[in-house]
Amino acid sequence: MDNAEILSILLKSDKELIIYRNSEKNNFEIYTDFIKKIKLNTDNLDKFLNKLERFKSNKPYDCYIGFFGYELLCKNINLKVNKDNSSFPEGVFFRPQTKIIVDKRVKVITKSKIKLLKDLKVLNKAKISRSNKISVSPNIKLYEKIFNKFKKNIRAGETYQIKIAQKYSNKKELDVVNLFFDLMKKNLSPESFCVRTKDFNIISCSPENLFKIKGEKIITSPIAGTVSRDKVKSIKEARKFFQNNQKEDKEHNMIVDLERNDLSRITKPNSVKIQNLKFVQKYQYIFHNVSEISGILLNNVKLSSIIKAMMPGGSVIGCPKTNTLKLLNKEEKEPRRIYTGSFGYYRSKQDMSFNIIIRSILNFKKNNEVFAASGVILDSTAKNEYHENYLKAKSLLDLLK
Amino acid sequence: MNLLLIDHEDSFTYNLAHLLSGFGNLEVKNYYDVEENSLKKSDIIVFSPGPGKPLDYPVSLDIYNFYKAKKKIIGICLGFQLIANGEGGTISKQEKIFHGYQTYIRTNEKSLRFPNNALYQVGRYHSLKLKEPFNSSSMHITMRCEETNVAMCLESHKYDICGLQFHPDSFLTPNGRQFIRKIIQYKK
Repeated sequence: MDNAEILSILLKSDKELIIYRNSEKNNFEIYTDFIKKIKLNTDNLDKFLNKLERFKSNKPYDCYIGFFGYELLCKNINLKVNKDNSSFPEGVFFRPQTKIIVDKRVKVITKSKIKLLKDLKVLNKAKISRSNKISVSPNIKLYEKIFNKFKKNIRAGETYQIKIAQKYSNKKELDVVNLFFDLMKKNLSPESFCVRTKDFNIISCSPENLFKIKGEKIITSPIAGTVSRDKVKSIKEARKFFQNNQKEDKEHNMIVDLERNDLSRITKPNSVKIQNLKFVQKYQYIFHNVSEISGILLNNVKLSSIIKAMMPGGSVIGCPKTNTLKLLNKEEKEPRRIYTGSFGYYRSKQDMSFNIIIRSILNFKKNNEVFAASGVILDSTAKNEYHENYLKAKSLLDLLK
Repeated sequence: MNLLLIDHEDSFTYNLAHLLSGFGNLEVKNYYDVEENSLKKSDIIVFSPGPGKPLDYPVSLDIYNFYKAKKKIIGICLGFQLIANGEGGTISKQEKIFHGYQTYIRTNEKSLRFPNNALYQVGRYHSLKLKEPFNSSSMHITMRCEETNVAMCLESHKYDICGLQFHPDSFLTPNGRQFIRKIIQYKK
């Protein structure tokens, strides 16, 4: 069997795997043959992070790859969250023994080819069940109530920016890997990933990296500002749009200062630099306004301090982070689970990368959920923002029909 | 020199911490976690920005009142409002909210730390403002917003106290470090 055949059968099998887009190399990496699968919770998180402190990968496939969920990240900075009564894990990390790089050619790097091929077989296509209607929470009435409450909080200076999330959900079985690659054809986002396990599945086309560490340098690339490509045609026009749009511009400023702050908690004094202020990135349907900020990590900074300082990522929450999270967790009733958590890999203290999980489908016990959030703006109405959330979620909701 | 930065859980506090760290030994403490010992040994107490209003932070107000005649005190944004509140001022809502704005401010002749009639570009994050008239025999408004005339700096003529409503720590304030340097180097 050649590598392309192995890949093809692997994708069509039910073997647990992770597909991760490497936007620097413009390819996909597929991880499988997991020797470890660590489910995280508040009690074992510190132990896990301490273990990673000492971990250093010396094989191309060897790493820890997985996610920290939103609720876990909130509790990690001593914030109360809504109880999730389901058995969905608060975070999971996998340690693979096989990595397949999908470029023009397929390259397989594995500890054991025998293990990789063992029981590998194409599954009969599961019957695709009929989907039921998509429900949304909070509904417009409740959303309006929360929106107006948060407006008052902004007026009183209790938050400067806050983003209410909505959950869209339905029941349907998904052909996860196929759907993921369909989505990639339409929307090749830099932080895309797909997780297929026995317990749950994730399809994500997240555009936003939260931080990358290479050596002693940490870099974050927050997105704040989105405009539809129907509205503006070129990158140049998009730049102009963002410059002239007061609301988008001020929000972006705030996120730049917030990220400078979070980096400053773990970096050497005065090493934090804005490398690239407000540049435009082009996607299939939208333009994003992005900045790039970097710093030099403090000597001996602990991994747990890095996670506490940076997560959950501020650009999708609001500002100031702590009080805004408190306000959100008081009003939002649906557990966010993966949404606004972070997915990424850890190869060593000098080599890791985590994104912000947005624009994602979580499939768990035949139930699918998609979240979208947008900011409360004083001169906007709840109806407008409610509609904007729907637009953000739409391309993913199409997959659930 | 020992600096104590009291953090009101803001997402800008550590930008300020990096600015301050060049001027001495800096300790950052959460507002609900400030120890007597840190206060005693500090030469300068800095009140950070933060959400809400001064009355949400009674302990910070107590610290201000206890130390205002004894140590150099600096307040940024909410910290500015804490100082104003401690001097009998009222903090109120404003019509136009300034979050992430870069605006011009101008100094006046009452300033002891900055040249008269100087124009600066600064970054701002505030929903609330100092309500006027603000009457105090020793505390003076020494900078104002060019556009709205809102108070941007409070300086004491009696004690070593200075508060800034804007953010010297923001990337929107090009000469942020200079503001901090002038305040720290000022000697009563």
